[in-house]
Amino acid sequence: MADEMRAHLEMRVEDLVTAGTPRTEAERRARVEFGSIDGAKEGCRQARGVSFADALRQDFRYALRGLRRSPGFALLCVGIMAVGIGANTAVFSVVNAVLLKPLPYRDPRRIVTLSNVVKTRPALNALAKQVSVPDFQDWHDQSTVFDAMAYYGTRRVSVTVGTSAEYARLTRVTREFFRVFDVQPVAGRPFTADEEKLGAGAALISSAYARQHYVEPSRAPGQVLRVFDRPVTIVGVLPQAFDFPDGTAIWFPATTIADPSATQRTANNNRAIGRLKRDITLPEASAEMTSIARRLEQAYPQSNSGKGLALTPLLDDTVGDAGAMLYLLLGAVGLVLLIACANVATLLLAKATGRTHEMAIRAALGASRSRIVRQLLVEGFVLAIVAGAIGSVAAVWGTRALVAIAPTQVPRLAQAGVDGPVLTFTLLVCSVVSVLFALPPALQVSQVDANESLQAAAGRTVVGGRGRQLRDVFVVTEIALTVILLTGGGLLLRSLVALQHVSLGFRPEHVLAMEATPQSRQRAAAFFTGLLTDVTTLPGVVAAGAINAPPGNVDSTGTYWIDHLPKELNLGSAPPTVMSVVAPGTFMALGIPLQSGRDFREGDAAGAPRTAIINESLARQAFRNSDPLGHVIFCAFDSLEPMTIVGVVGDVRQYGPAREASPECYLPYLQHGFNNATLSIVVRTSGDPGLLADTMRQKAHERSPDVSVKATTMDVLVGEHFAAPRFRAVLVALFGAVALCLALAGIYGVMAYTVAQRSREIGLRMALGATAQNVLWMMLRQGGQIVAAGLLIGLVGAAGMTRLLTTFLFEIRPNDGITYASVVALLGVMSTLAIYFPARRSSKVEPLIALRAD
Amino acid sequence: MAKKPADLLPGTLDMLILKAVSLKPLHGYGVLLRIAQISRDVLDVPQGSLYPALYRLEHQGLINAEWGESENKRRAKFYTLTPAGRKRLRDETASWNRLVSAIAHSLSATPDEV
Repeated sequence: MADEMRAHLEMRVEDLVTAGTPRTEAERRARVEFGSIDGAKEGCRQARGVSFADALRQDFRYALRGLRRSPGFALLCVGIMAVGIGANTAVFSVVNAVLLKPLPYRDPRRIVTLSNVVKTRPALNALAKQVSVPDFQDWHDQSTVFDAMAYYGTRRVSVTVGTSAEYARLTRVTREFFRVFDVQPVAGRPFTADEEKLGAGAALISSAYARQHYVEPSRAPGQVLRVFDRPVTIVGVLPQAFDFPDGTAIWFPATTIADPSATQRTANNNRAIGRLKRDITLPEASAEMTSIARRLEQAYPQSNSGKGLALTPLLDDTVGDAGAMLYLLLGAVGLVLLIACANVATLLLAKATGRTHEMAIRAALGASRSRIVRQLLVEGFVLAIVAGAIGSVAAVWGTRALVAIAPTQVPRLAQAGVDGPVLTFTLLVCSVVSVLFALPPALQVSQVDANESLQAAAGRTVVGGRGRQLRDVFVVTEIALTVILLTGGGLLLRSLVALQHVSLGFRPEHVLAMEATPQSRQRAAAFFTGLLTDVTTLPGVVAAGAINAPPGNVDSTGTYWIDHLPKELNLGSAPPTVMSVVAPGTFMALGIPLQSGRDFREGDAAGAPRTAIINESLARQAFRNSDPLGHVIFCAFDSLEPMTIVGVVGDVRQYGPAREASPECYLPYLQHGFNNATLSIVVRTSGDPGLLADTMRQKAHERSPDVSVKATTMDVLVGEHFAAPRFRAVLVALFGAVALCLALAGIYGVMAYTVAQRSREIGLRMALGATAQNVLWMMLRQGGQIVAAGLLIGLVGAAGMTRLLTTFLFEIRPNDGITYASVVALLGVMSTLAIYFPARRSSKVEPLIALRAD
Repeated sequence: MAKKPADLLPGTLDMLILKAVSLKPLHGYGVLLRIAQISRDVLDVPQGSLYPALYRLEHQGLINAEWGESENKRRAKFYTLTPAGRKRLRDETASWNRLVSAIAHSLSATPDEV
């Protein structure tokens, strides 16, 4: 603009100079002729209109001024939105950490797990994904789509550092394992070829383990650990973030340990993992691997028929079924946010109606409709941002609380926090909700006819029929969404109660479980026999036994045959069973009833005839109504020797209360030397089992100083089954309660407002003869209609939405009548109260005062 | 002899600008000179109100502005007529002509015609 005018003046000056005027005189004349340059500029600006940025800045100033002017109102709106946004931020921070953050490896999307799939039956747990070494070798040698492929097996083992023994996670890995993750040691070096030979003793350790025992990683290489009763030298330390899988402390070349099962295609004892080549997609890789699996099926029908292969991105494999639960929570908390929006929209609408006059004046002074809408939107945005800031701060604690109460099975929780991506999400949410709650009132109020409104006497607000309708719609929405949330919460709570009433098949109370691993596998049997003798004589001990995995922690599965082995062993078609190794007295200690036959006894030892005890499910499955005692069972476990069934015990829900019991076979620990290196001593006590833990630890160390032990009560172990259902039920119910409060406040607010608005009308009615009763009824009826509409829509919505819950429910159907009835009753009673109190005020209106009010 | 410049009638400046620009793309100073030229130096546009008028017309989408180079190599903003401006000029010209002829006719009325 300035350029243009300067050019103009210069051209004029030149023309004048050409015409013969002296330059100074010409410049003066040009200026005089032009007049005020600033005036012209101002005129131009006006002609062009106010710039968008200027107007926006003005809107922000207005908005802040407006909020300062009515602090109570602003506080209420900000408070409601802060609850909604804060809760969403907290839940999202968990979702982000668990589901969205990439894994901390280079190019993590290319890392996939390779899992066994038995086509005829669904996988019961992670054990089903394990693969055998020969299968892996064929996959590895025949495939072309991987940069690297490795198998690994992981378990907690007893490690002696210096003189003390403790549990640490040890993972056996094959050569390409570290290439799959693309990691190099930060101190020391990788394994050499010699260190991968049978009997070699080299290990890599994690940075965390190095810090714990050697102060810093650089000091660890060269140090010696004792694992499996032999010395192992640390050759290198892996980087800080690397502890795959499951917080591994020590990695070990798989080829250094003699593994008799490494030649059997049926010994599915390892997990497999690979890094896809850069330009290979998952479907392409799956196609190739499937065809390899099909070739193996044909080549080895005995072991491989019905065996498939699934590729899963490592992130999906890690997250498992935590994803569904977290998305459920995100959905629930999203509904809370919608209710908060409806609530604030109602408030803003009420306030906007009060501002009709202001808007009319602004419209009369030339503000366009879009300008007014924009200003109200900016006000909404300012509200949302302030609420978002407060909510984000609150979410820091909220996230910590969520992590604290979350079930331990949810992976990657430790990384949850309010960070950059989470704040971006929050900002996005703020923007969206500000439009949601500010736009309807803005459109509403900007529609006001300036003329009409200004003519109406100042102070007497025009209550448009549409304004009321819109408010009613908001309240109906709030109630409907609350019904959905409460129904969901109710169903989950009832499922939790049902779960807790399921009999697990054993009595977990008063039972201490102490896991123990002696350093020497050869001396393990003797150690446990001795320890059991010691423990049985302790005061307060009612019964004692030992089992390789306490109930609920299935460690081994196998397949079984009754009476004779088929000519061709087909593991795919043989029935599966849970395999456990136990000591005499275990069933009594755990409270598993012996149905028939006998318990194991000390005579069921190595060299004696092999015996087995089966559970009811296996008896029913294999023998129908005949007596299983005396029959012979073969198990694909450690050997295929025949074992005589000497007893039948009750079923135990090994996979948690939600899953039916499955067939189980128990074997005496003295006859299965390969599988008794780690046992959990289970002790039933007359008093608090926790008090016995120290004595037991002491007894164990007296027997063998280098044994690792870990004691917990059975109650704690069992509690983990309920952690996830409790987590989601409590949270959804909590969100439902927040929703209920918001909705009740919404109903109350709207009724109170309506009563205030209609006091003149009510006064008139009463002056004309209506009784207080009539008026009360009128108001109750009006409120009741809104609530009824909300309930009805909510029930329809709940019927649809709760179907999404099916996988989380136990013994409760999504259309559970009791839940629906309770929700309707609860909401009905509470909202009637929320209507009643304001309505009662209407019947107390003094006709004369109301009519004279203005 | 120089004719005495006449004041513009209110509302006619926009029309004159549109006319001036319709003949040939012009910069602001050029518009001034062109109006003086086509009105045979009768009409004198107040320079201070020229630019607000130009910005107003641009804002209404009747003219377009583009930076270019003037005849004596100076950077200047050139205005051209948009299709909407052309239509407006046609309408305004027609209604102006109606108005002028009506007023002229009115002023030339004689007592006989009453």
